[in-house]
Amino acid sequence: MNAHTRIEERLPLYAAGQLNSAEQAEIEAHLASCAACREELALWKAVSAEIVASDRALVAPPALAQRALQQVRGRKRLNRAFWRTWQLLHAQTFLVQRETWPASAAVLVLGVIVALLSNQAGVIYFIAPLVAASTVAMLSGREHDPAYELTVATPTQPWMVLLARLSIVSVYNLVLTLAATLALLLIVPPGLLGTLILGWLAPMAFFSALALLLSLWIGSSNATIFIYVLWIAQYVPYRAVGTWMVSPAWSMVISAYQNFWHNPLLLFLLSIPLAGIALWSANRPVFRLNQGID
Amino acid sequence: MISYAVPNEEIWSPAMAQHEHDLELMQRLAAGEEAALHELYADYGQRLYAYALRLTGDPALAEDVVQEVLVVAWRTAAKYRGEGRVLAWLLGITHNHAFKALRHRPVPISDEIETTLPAAADPPEEQAQAGEQARWVRQGLKHLSPEHRSVLELVFYQGLSLEEVAQVCHCPLGTVKSRLSYARQHLRGVLSRRDKEDWL
Repeated sequence: MNAHTRIEERLPLYAAGQLNSAEQAEIEAHLASCAACREELALWKAVSAEIVASDRALVAPPALAQRALQQVRGRKRLNRAFWRTWQLLHAQTFLVQRETWPASAAVLVLGVIVALLSNQAGVIYFIAPLVAASTVAMLSGREHDPAYELTVATPTQPWMVLLARLSIVSVYNLVLTLAATLALLLIVPPGLLGTLILGWLAPMAFFSALALLLSLWIGSSNATIFIYVLWIAQYVPYRAVGTWMVSPAWSMVISAYQNFWHNPLLLFLLSIPLAGIALWSANRPVFRLNQGID
Repeated sequence: MISYAVPNEEIWSPAMAQHEHDLELMQRLAAGEEAALHELYADYGQRLYAYALRLTGDPALAEDVVQEVLVVAWRTAAKYRGEGRVLAWLLGITHNHAFKALRHRPVPISDEIETTLPAAADPPEEQAQAGEQARWVRQGLKHLSPEHRSVLELVFYQGLSLEEVAQVCHCPLGTVKSRLSYARQHLRGVLSRRDKEDWL
């Protein structure tokens, strides 16, 4: 690199006033004899003057530091909430009745085997909501909670404990049933997979919510039996009823009842208030009609 | 005001005093002292905002960028080891966030940057020629890419050395030099067009 090129490269820094006195002197000596560099320097000085003048006219927006601190506090709260949720879920995972996990899995595996052997994918549709109802019904109460006293003694509110358990068990049931449904691809065309999933998903959500509510109100066993009856009732053929009850009104009632279980939107919509009422009543012992049973 | 790079010699200088003050500020920031963030903003807010605005050309976006820079500074102050100037460190964060914001911005900035960056004050009559030149320089700057504008801004307003510019822009020193060279050619082209128009 010759002296001219080296000086030319330093001209922006010279124009910006960033060079020490020795470097400045060297450049000034070169400028005295180099018209090209003088022209170059004039350009850099014009650029520098424009940038400095326009930037100096700017005023920093007020209160940005305050806004940044508010943002930091907001994130901290969010992080704390996430951390507390994670801790709650983690702790409650180990407090859910231990038998729940293998029992659900075993029933679903059995269901898949039966479905594959009989070539009837509907078996999963029949089993999945019942498995969900049984497991959710076991979530609360003295008889099902290995750390009931501890749970009661913690500062976490009962509804939060219940919601955490409901979430854990529901996700578990969902994953298991999805896996079971995928296994049915051996006998079901892939195009029907969505219909099959939607078929069990809505009743499963509805029964989970209902089981939670009823287990709080009338006890786990009663809730499970009630739900089993509700579910199986849709399979009772009209003819069996019609032989001893011939009224056309009954025919309509039975038909409406059967249709109810095939209306996913309605089932989903109903499951939301049911779960809400269940969580709300978890905090109010007066609603827990099964206190004597537990 | 243009500050100077931290010198190596042991002789006391304003730059060394500034660096010591900044180090103490960063320690207070790392300790979670909220007043330190206000102080940091009072010291460097204007420069950060000017840089963010130079890159984005959008005052609202530049404001968001600076706010995000302050949040990052608050959270990562403990990681600052004092290897370089705090200003360069902050400008590096601003650079990253400004380019991130630009990537997510649907409207190109070239059409509006001239209106958002204030021009120098109107020159008196006798400086009309210089004023005219400034207008052409402004035009030239407007049509440069953010990458090229950033180098000019860092050198001329922020007073960074070329090594510091490379650090802020996360690019090699050679790239900084080639960007300066490109900016020079571009601006020279704009100014020579002006001269031709004057002659015609």
